[in-house]
Amino acid sequence: MERTRKQEISRGVLVFAFNSSKYNYVEMAEYCARRASRFLGLPTTIITDEESAETITYDFDNVVIVEPDKNNIREHQVWINKGRYQAYELSPYEETLVLDVDYVINSDTLLKTFDFSDSFCCHNRTEMLMYPNAPQEYLSSYSYNSLWATVIMFKKSTRAKQIFEALEMVQNNYDHYANIHSFVGGIFRNDYALTLALKIVNGHSDVRSDYIPWNLVHVGKNTSVYADASDTFDCKGEEFNTEFTVMFDNWKNSKVRKEYVTIKDFDFHIMNKDLFAGIMNG
Amino acid sequence: MDTKTLIKDAKARFSHNSAKAYLKEKYNSKLIIAEQGGLWRADAQTIAILASFAALSNMNPHTTVLIDTFDNPVQVEVTSLLESLTTLYNSVMTEWYAEWKELENKR
Repeated sequence: MERTRKQEISRGVLVFAFNSSKYNYVEMAEYCARRASRFLGLPTTIITDEESAETITYDFDNVVIVEPDKNNIREHQVWINKGRYQAYELSPYEETLVLDVDYVINSDTLLKTFDFSDSFCCHNRTEMLMYPNAPQEYLSSYSYNSLWATVIMFKKSTRAKQIFEALEMVQNNYDHYANIHSFVGGIFRNDYALTLALKIVNGHSDVRSDYIPWNLVHVGKNTSVYADASDTFDCKGEEFNTEFTVMFDNWKNSKVRKEYVTIKDFDFHIMNKDLFAGIMNG
Repeated sequence: MDTKTLIKDAKARFSHNSAKAYLKEKYNSKLIIAEQGGLWRADAQTIAILASFAALSNMNPHTTVLIDTFDNPVQVEVTSLLESLTTLYNSVMTEWYAEWKELENKR
């Protein structure tokens, strides 16, 4: 089922959001969509399921209902993160930015990704806020370094289609690839599947224009982020906070020292959903 | 609880090293620009080589081939690329400097 109001949209954001018993992903998607509209000037399409769609309060550009694949368990709970390969078919846009809902947009930086490639790009390097030189993640000790599905830009093209078809193939044979590359296959990860899919399409070589030329910034462990103000949406208009305080527990000799830094107009990705909920609520 | 109270209660110290790293991360991405069929970083090295070519008045036509950040050779019109990169460099570095000065004063 698809509800479409606008035709001939060429550029937009696509988010996947399926509520779980623990987290309201739709609410996160709404937060992400508001910021995409404000900072990128782009409409957002949400891919969700029937049940989650009932909780939508934001005026998304499109709401696409799909049957979720609930065959992924993390921490004893269903984690619906499969099906990212459908982005290519389900996106109503010619040029699409696929974002994780927990990616906090605070600037127009992501618009540059549309200039970098004719088909596809994603992050291949990460940086942890307040944890400089953190090691890059590898699928396993003798496999590739992980790419990141947090931000994907693709343009409708034969090559992008091939990448998403390869992503589907990897998802369907995830345990097999986990076995070959020696990573834990029990929990499906889009990052790993994307890594393998892109390597397959590229003949196991690197195409530099597939990689966004700056780091994906994560908020990692021992780190908390607090919004310096709340976003406000009322009859006077929308006010978006772009200033955050990042606090880090620096452990040395069994003692913890709290350190902080303030950041502004800077995009980042929060892995911890509880932290993200705190930011959404100011 | 507002963040100022939070910092005070936690007795947290401002980390200048982290601030420096964050600024570098933030402004490095802003220095990248797609122009004339290539992807460029508006850094001192690229601007310097363009400026030195631009100074050669006997270059005619005023084009050269540079390796872009994707390692592709790209034929570029020197003066217009130099102008774009210089403008971008100045605006980004001014912002970087201003935010650095602001953070440097924090304790």
